[in-house]
Amino acid sequence: MRKSLAWMMGAGSFLGLASSTLANGWNMPVGVTDVSREIYSLHMTIFWICVVIGIVVFGVMFYSLFRYRRSRGAKSANFHENTSVEVVWTAIPLLILVGMALPATATLKRMYDPSEAELDVMVTGQQWRWHYEYLGEDVSFTSSLSTPRSQVNGEEEKDENYLLDVDEPLVLPVGRKVRFLMTSDDVIHSWWVPDLAVKQDSIPGFVNENWVRIEEPGIYRGQCAELCGKDHAFMPIVVRAVEADEFDTWLAERQEAAAAEASGVDREWGMDELMERGEQVYGSICATCHQPDGSGAEPTFPALAGNEALLNDLDRHIDVVLNGVSGTPMAAYRGNLNPVELAAVITYERNAWGNESGDAVQPSEIQALLE
Amino acid sequence: MWEVIKSVLAAFFGVQNERQRHRDFQHGKPVAFVAAGIALAVVLVVVVAAVAIVAAR
Ligand SMILES: [Cu+2]
Repeated sequence: MRKSLAWMMGAGSFLGLASSTLANGWNMPVGVTDVSREIYSLHMTIFWICVVIGIVVFGVMFYSLFRYRRSRGAKSANFHENTSVEVVWTAIPLLILVGMALPATATLKRMYDPSEAELDVMVTGQQWRWHYEYLGEDVSFTSSLSTPRSQVNGEEEKDENYLLDVDEPLVLPVGRKVRFLMTSDDVIHSWWVPDLAVKQDSIPGFVNENWVRIEEPGIYRGQCAELCGKDHAFMPIVVRAVEADEFDTWLAERQEAAAAEASGVDREWGMDELMERGEQVYGSICATCHQPDGSGAEPTFPALAGNEALLNDLDRHIDVVLNGVSGTPMAAYRGNLNPVELAAVITYERNAWGNESGDAVQPSEIQALLE
Repeated sequence: MWEVIKSVLAAFFGVQNERQRHRDFQHGKPVAFVAAGIALAVVLVVVVAAVAIVAAR
């Protein structure tokens, strides 16, 4: 009796240790949506069921090993079968499994119901960044890693959100049902934000659906969860959830900016403003492969600095950026960047890092090629 | 016939007693067990599908 008391105390202190460890960030997050909380409570319920089963099974086993040992004169029983015991130990796990499957299936059904969404966001994975398009709102942008290379290379101290920061977070409204349409331009990625309980593969040629209704404003971070190549660890996700009216204001501002950019196509752009815009686009889109200084990474990612073949052939340069190069990692950017961004980045590549072509590509020229 | 079905159901559940097993091996025909196994597998699929359809409503 005293022994079993000691056993129970041991088990009790183990449970206490387990719960405090779980509270210390080892566990999955509770999250900020209804579904994420449901998933968390399912996870904890099933976890504790497993703990209880483990304690009972191993408890009986170790107790029997100890209590009925040979040195105390125990004799092993010698029988072949016992149908009733076998039926019981088959039926009990069956009932436990069904008992766990029922609530889990109910949650799954909710998770797979993206109907009646108030906002549709197309999420496109690209090597190695995310592209977001607010469908029907004329707002779209690319979200790239903003952690500086110096931190990656260890030349500078790594900050708190090392590799979890982007230049432009995905902004979503609190309290509205948002449907995600996930796809990819190249290989399989996976859009994963633990606090939102969303982890959905983005697959080229497929559109997967998922949804959230975020309940608390805040910044929620995630990562690509499907090994997708060299910079798989360098394409984080940042979601900025804001109150619905703040979101509406933000969306209206973005729509205005997009409209202004569209009207910018018609005017003549100066070299300086093209270079300034181009540097920004280059840093966000091109620098991961072709490097911030244009030195590339031969043989896969050609150097742009001092690339005579490119500098002598403007048409080829434009073609490569707009349409990509098949059979290489160079993607087509005609659908991802607008004419101003395309013209600016091509101009930048032809006039930065000692390249001195002097070419200023006008957005209107690109616009003509896109039509 | 009923004995064959009982044995196949016991196999589905995963527990069979020794007496029944001896009888099956002495008197049963393998073809009967195979046929009953296939038929009951179809029944199982239909039952699971029906439950799933009802639950999905
Ligand atoms: Cu990826």
